[in-house]
Order: sequence, then C-alpha cells, then structure tokens
Amino acid sequence: MQPGKREVNRRRFLSAAIAAMGSLIGAAVGVPAVAYIIGPALKQQAEDWVRLGAVNKVELGSPTLFKTTVERQTGWISAQEEVAAYVLTENGQEFSAISNVCTHLGCRVRWIEGEAQFFCPCHNGVFGKDGSVVSGPPPRPLDRFETKIEDGVLFIRRS
Amino acid sequence: MGAKLGNWLDERFGWRSVWAAIFLRKIPHVNWFYTLGSATLFVATLQIVTGILLTMYYVPTPDHAYDSVVYITTQLPAGWFIRGLHHWGASAMVVLTVLHMLRVFFAGSYKFPREMTWLTGVGLLLIAVGFGFTGYLLPWDQKAYWATTVGTEIAGVAPGLGPWILRIARGGDDLTALTLARFFGAHVWVLPAALLGLVSLHLYLVIRNGITAAPERKD
Repeated sequence: MQPGKREVNRRRFLSAAIAAMGSLIGAAVGVPAVAYIIGPALKQQAEDWVRLGAVNKVELGSPTLFKTTVERQTGWISAQEEVAAYVLTENGQEFSAISNVCTHLGCRVRWIEGEAQFFCPCHNGVFGKDGSVVSGPPPRPLDRFETKIEDGVLFIRRS
Repeated sequence: MGAKLGNWLDERFGWRSVWAAIFLRKIPHVNWFYTLGSATLFVATLQIVTGILLTMYYVPTPDHAYDSVVYITTQLPAGWFIRGLHHWGASAMVVLTVLHMLRVFFAGSYKFPREMTWLTGVGLLLIAVGFGFTGYLLPWDQKAYWATTVGTEIAGVAPGLGPWILRIARGGDDLTALTLARFFGAHVWVLPAALLGLVSLHLYLVIRNGITAAPERKD
C-alpha cells in the first residue's frame, strides 16, 4: 500500500466519524427541540360540558341567549373565557344550542325578534332561526352544540 | 452531483478557501488540552440554541417569570431537557473557559504575537461570567432573587462608584420588575452581541496567528 493512500483513508475515516458524531449531537438536541416547539400545538382542547343555566328560562319558540364564563388554562395562565349560545326549543322537550359566532369572520350574531332572524353586524350576514344561512357572506350555518339536561339545568358541550 | 454543486457554489462564494483556512490549517504537535477552546465554543453554541428555545416560552416579568419556567420544566415535551442543558451548560461555560485559560497560561501561548488573543479571551471570560450572573436571576425564585440581591449588594460596596453601580444594575434602589427586565435584556441581547463580536475576533486571531506547539522540557 502506498503511504499517500493510507493518509487519505485515515482522513476519510476521521471525517466520517466527526460527521456521525455531529449528526448524533444534532439529533439529540434537534429532536427534543422540535417536540418542545410544537408541544402546545398538539395538545387537544379538553372537551367539557359547560353549565348554561336553568332550562325553564328558555322561551318557547324564540332563541334565548345564554352567557357564562369558564375557567381556561393556556400555558401557565388561567383566564376566564366567555361562552355564549342561543338556545331554542319549540316544544319545551327538545333543545338545540346554536353558537353566536358568525361563520364568516367570527363576529357575534344577534337575534332580531321582529324579523325572526340572526343578524351579523360586521358584513350583513343573516341566518334563519335554525342557524341556516339566509343571505350574506357566511359560508356555512351557525355551529351547533351538543346539549344535555340534568336536574333542569342545561349544559352544552364545547369541542 | 454533490461535487458539481460544490463547484458551482465555490465559483460564487469561494467557500473552499474559507473552509481550508478554518478546518484544514496546519497545526503543530499538540495534546488534548488544546481542545478546551473548541469545547468552550461547542458549549457556547449549545447555550445559544437552548437559550433561543427557552425564550419561546419564558416571560421576564415578576408575575409570569416563575410560572413560565415551571411550565417549561413540567408541562412542555423535553422542556426539562432544554432547560437542563442550558442550566448545566452555564456552569460548563465558566469551568471550560477557566480550564482553557489555564492551558494557555501554562503552555505560554499568550506570548507574542498572541497577546490580543489572550486579551479578547479575558473579555470572553467576563462575558461568560456576565451571562451566568444575569441568567441566574431569570427563574425568579427565592434563590435567584436573593443571589442577585447579594450579588448587586457586593457591587455596591465598591469604593466611590459602588452605590451608583448598584442603582444602575438594579434599575433603582430595590430589586424589582425593572431589574428582571434589564437582566433579561442584558442576557439575551447585550451579552450575546458582545459574545459574537469577541468570539469572531478571537477565532480570527487563532486562525491568523496559528496555534502554538506544546512546550517541551528543553523550551
């Protein structure tokens, strides 16, 4: 074997060893770093039942607005968050809860009794009593919440 | 393919001569103690990476600092690992810098023409200590609070200017939100800028002047 060739082999070996160790160290820091950065994004919002109020406060045949606040944990800060829903019943037995957040750009819609429609002040989105789109820019009906009643108290499920 | 891309880039950047100057330079016969400077540079890089990661969640105000550190350590995936690396890396920085300095001293490597390499190195030691001092306050727990109280108090007993140094370090007479904010600012902006500048100069001098051979008995 020529002496020159031997030197090239040694150099190649050391280069490969350094590259391997470098990759190993890079991965040892890089993989935890990615987990660390995307961690909070992967966390699922806890689905939970939110207590709205007494079921007998719902007016028959007319959407009634319920507002309540829930404790919400974001990172290390726990804050109050307002939850609002229009609750509708036609027969006093079956209840449906509709979100008051416009599906267009997130403004709050309001029930106009005289016209029997939900109206969004931002871009004139109009929804029917059941939340379906009547006119304006909203791309889909108002969101609905799952509901349940326990001991005369109405709950909705946030998802 | 790789060689072709390398040539294409080299024609535009001339990176091969830079690479050769940094990594393929001739070095005399030395021993493992001569790697302490590179070890310090490696840990410094690790500190920069983990430090940047910590700022993604850390908040330097008295009502959030401690809680955000607890959140990093207990709630985030690998948060304990990132913070742990940064915590232990801080001590490693000071230890390695001092060991590197001792090697330079006992090998006589600070002599002509490398006096400025030594002086910039002394500056870097001070910066490493400054990082340690300002970073120690940031978790905002009891140990951090009282260590900084004592540390700034010590600065305060310097003759003449002492009381002024204390007030400037704390941003007032007491250790407050202002102290935390300015220590954070120093830790993530002032000191890193100074570190990058001085490290660049230090490395330029190491490459420009070459490194010394390990002294032998007859020297």
